Amino acid sequence: MSFFWRRKQQELNEEIDAHLRMAERDRLARGENPGRAAQSARRELGNVALIHETTRDQWGWRWLETLLQDFRYACRMLRKSPGFTAVAVLTLALGIGANTAIFSFVDAVLLTSIPVKAPQQLVAFSWSAHAQPKIKGLSDYGDCADQPGIGDCSFSIPFFKTLRAQANAFSGMAAFAGPMDVDLSGNGAASMARGLYVSGDFFSTLGVSTFIGRPLAPSDDLPSAPPVIVLNYSYWARAFAAAPSVIGRTVHLDSTTATIVGVADPRFTNLTPGKPLDFFMPFSVADSVRGEWWGNQDRVSDATERWIVILGRLKDGVSLGQAQATATAIFRNEMIHGVAQFFKPEDAPAITLRPLRSGLNGETSEIAPALYVTMTIVAFILLIACANVAGLTLARSASRQKEMAVRLALGAGRARIARQLLTESLLLSLVGGALGVLLSIWGIDAITALFSSGYYQTFPFVIAPDWRVLTFTIAITFATGVLFGLAPALRGSRVDLTPSLKESASSLPGVASHTGRRFRLGDALVVAQVALSIVVLIGAGLLVRTLRNLHGINPGFDPQNILLFGIDPHLAGYTDAQTQQLYANLQQRFTALPGVISASYSEDALLDGGWSGNDVHLDGAPPKQNVNTATLTVGLDFFSTMRIPLLAGRNFTSADFAAAAATNAANKVRAAAAKSKPAPSASAPAPPTALEEAYFHSAPVPVLINEFFAKKFFANQNPVGLHMGDEQRADSDVQNLGPGYTIIGIVGDTKYPQLRRKIVPIMFLPLMSNEAHFELRTAANPTALVKNVREIVSQAGDNLPLTDVRTQTEQIDQILFQERLMARLSSFFGALALALACIGLYGLLSYEVACRTRELGIRMALGARHRDLLRLVVGQGILLVLIGAAIGIAAAFGVTRFISAMLYDVRANDPLTMLAVAILLILVALLACYIPARRAMKVDPMVALRYE
Amino acid sequence: MKQHYQNRIELLQGTLDLLILQTLQWGAQHGYGISQAIRSRSGDALQVDTGSLYPALHRLEHQKWIKADWKTSGNNQRVRVYQLTAAGKKQLLSERSRWQQISEAIAGILSPAKENET
Repeated sequence: MSFFWRRKQQELNEEIDAHLRMAERDRLARGENPGRAAQSARRELGNVALIHETTRDQWGWRWLETLLQDFRYACRMLRKSPGFTAVAVLTLALGIGANTAIFSFVDAVLLTSIPVKAPQQLVAFSWSAHAQPKIKGLSDYGDCADQPGIGDCSFSIPFFKTLRAQANAFSGMAAFAGPMDVDLSGNGAASMARGLYVSGDFFSTLGVSTFIGRPLAPSDDLPSAPPVIVLNYSYWARAFAAAPSVIGRTVHLDSTTATIVGVADPRFTNLTPGKPLDFFMPFSVADSVRGEWWGNQDRVSDATERWIVILGRLKDGVSLGQAQATATAIFRNEMIHGVAQFFKPEDAPAITLRPLRSGLNGETSEIAPALYVTMTIVAFILLIACANVAGLTLARSASRQKEMAVRLALGAGRARIARQLLTESLLLSLVGGALGVLLSIWGIDAITALFSSGYYQTFPFVIAPDWRVLTFTIAITFATGVLFGLAPALRGSRVDLTPSLKESASSLPGVASHTGRRFRLGDALVVAQVALSIVVLIGAGLLVRTLRNLHGINPGFDPQNILLFGIDPHLAGYTDAQTQQLYANLQQRFTALPGVISASYSEDALLDGGWSGNDVHLDGAPPKQNVNTATLTVGLDFFSTMRIPLLAGRNFTSADFAAAAATNAANKVRAAAAKSKPAPSASAPAPPTALEEAYFHSAPVPVLINEFFAKKFFANQNPVGLHMGDEQRADSDVQNLGPGYTIIGIVGDTKYPQLRRKIVPIMFLPLMSNEAHFELRTAANPTALVKNVREIVSQAGDNLPLTDVRTQTEQIDQILFQERLMARLSSFFGALALALACIGLYGLLSYEVACRTRELGIRMALGARHRDLLRLVVGQGILLVLIGAAIGIAAAFGVTRFISAMLYDVRANDPLTMLAVAILLILVALLACYIPARRAMKVDPMVALRYE
Repeated sequence: MKQHYQNRIELLQGTLDLLILQTLQWGAQHGYGISQAIRSRSGDALQVDTGSLYPALHRLEHQKWIKADWKTSGNNQRVRVYQLTAAGKKQLLSERSRWQQISEAIAGILSPAKENET
């Protein structure tokens, strides 16, 4: 209370006191006797306290005063029952904190807008058709979610140029691709940087400016233009220490020298959420800065290379539908009658335009399902928390009926009492909310850590609570406060005076009907909590079983004690022959490391999500009828290193690698020769060159197949030693095929890209020249070797960055990331839900027992045994739990199918999980019932009867 | 106690403010002084209830029609003395004219009956 406030009160005291003195003095002066004078002066003055109060009303702060009064009283009441307060505040804090944290997360990942000028005018292009196009090359950098039918959002640069020239529904167009890992040097040690290819009009169309320097302009995108790049702000700050002098500096991108001309606006980080990038480069450099293995393909002018994403800015007054019609007309014309005829007219190729946010969802489409499930679970928790606190407040308000009746009898207004109760609830929820905000700050960190453990790079989303989340939290807090405060408040003020004032009213069996009516709401709240927590628990049970099932899968190899890391020598400028040399050299040196049992390499590591596939033609099958198999190119000793058993035949030897290399070289020569001969079939066949001769006589590539391959395609024969032909395409010349493959052995089945995928046929080929992941089988903890490995690699070549260093078990955890995350989150919240429901049950029963002390005493006096009382109390609790469980299981049947896509080897309505969860709940609930029941048994009949 | 009130005239709603303002027009005065002044000037017919006086004083003060200062009276008693502000003077004028209208209106209604009686 302020000093000013107190002084004002004192002054009023003094003023009235002075009044009394003067009145007394006047009476004395008039000759009244002293004792009488004082008495009648006081009588004349009247009720001093009332004068005080009505005068204070005039000060205009009455509302504040009563508020403070209510507040102080509420504080006192809450302090008087610390158990109730602690449980209620903690429950609310957990509910609100968890919701705020998750909402912040969802907001940052799914709801933030893309930082460009007038984003509502921007659209992303995607195409669809009834049939697959004749594709030569397709790259997809994960900017849009998979379309259900045929189609995607990858286009060719020539089509983009045609569209830009013809589509008049757009005020601007832009395209981009990537980002790709580029070897960036000239700024200290060589490092990988993520560069996004953009069209020259990218910055102007999006309306993105630069922090310093200039943006890329259309003139930078001309083939003759000198190579220039624009840095992303955070990369500039990180790699160039935010030095303004970078403008005009040159760096090397792979082997191309480029000038830095600008640093982008700090607010513009990336377009597609979850795809961080370091710099922007024009498409004009795509030919020299390749970024990844592209072979000899010409990405800039070949209309069949689809790899860029197109964006358009709608002209004012042009609707999405109009623009879509225009773009479709151009697309149809180009795809059906253009240079490369992708489609027939009946394929109905069409363009769909989507707003930027839904068109470019990228990474979010991966996280979104997990987030939505978590959000639902957490919303359930908030509901349970509210029901819990409502139940507790209700029980408490029932026990305070006498207090309310006394207050009413003393003349308190009903509105005032309602306000008092509401103040208590709001105070509770405010404290809970404040604690919840603190909890959410911690929770955001925890959830970010949880989600980001699934990423190799830094987590692509920045999560921080912002004002919208804060508003949301405050709204929840007050809504809960009013919600659970209002019901008891309304009821509390409707108290019937007389029976409540009678001491014995609440415990007389005669008023049981009154008690019954009161508790129907409390019972309903407990049932609701049990039902909600059953749903959460069943969800958690299903997700945990999914994780267990996945972990229980035998991958077909031994994942313990394997160190994995990637190397891509092409990025460092190695030729194919040098690469092969390098791998052989590295493999030898790794094997020689102490602690390493054996070392090998393969194009993809097993279970890292990536895979390749190919068609082969089985000998004896009709022409042009191929079978599809997964393929994996591997190094020497791959099977022994991974401990994949050899079932028949033999392993690869160095001779196999030499043979494969020869065939590979001949293949390349032939491909080059084919390219220089534009019309191979028109004229009479030219005499074969010496190179072609060499090619035709090159040996089939030796391959191993897995057991599934053998069983599926060679059911009744021993495949070892058999030959398979190259794929026979519809347009390929059957007489002019490559040498094909020879099967030299059969190995055991393994899971290849994912644990969830079924076993498929796999063909293992000798790895020639691609990027590789090394596998080191070690005797002990593989991570201890990382330092030695780095040393060996940097000795072998300066510019060879090591990527994705991890153990095989970490790799498996990695691909099971979402499953682990969901299992962990859902079991945490499941346990929380269970605990809350049991607290609710415990609170209700404890209260009941306290209210029925007298009745229990009478029952005991009349000969009821402890067992009977136990059954009475526990029976009531278990009845509520059973009703709740039944409702919960019924609800779970409807709800769990939404997560069926996340499950593995367990059905969404798995009866075992449901039964297990119900049993768990009943056991825990029994405990919650037992404590109040024991209190009931301890009731001393004499004390209980004498009490009133 | 009841007798005590019998020979008093109940103040009309809103007239207390007018009486207080009018009393202060004659000079600054403390609460007790105001009640005594009203009482003596009305020939003991009007007695201001303390329970109405102080709320009224604080209300008028809150509306800035009067202001208060602490002074020490003749017999060394610290008293809170009220005096009229400029706004209070204006308010007094408007309340007086309003009272004039009301009493004239009431007199107009009552005058024929008065003639009959005499």
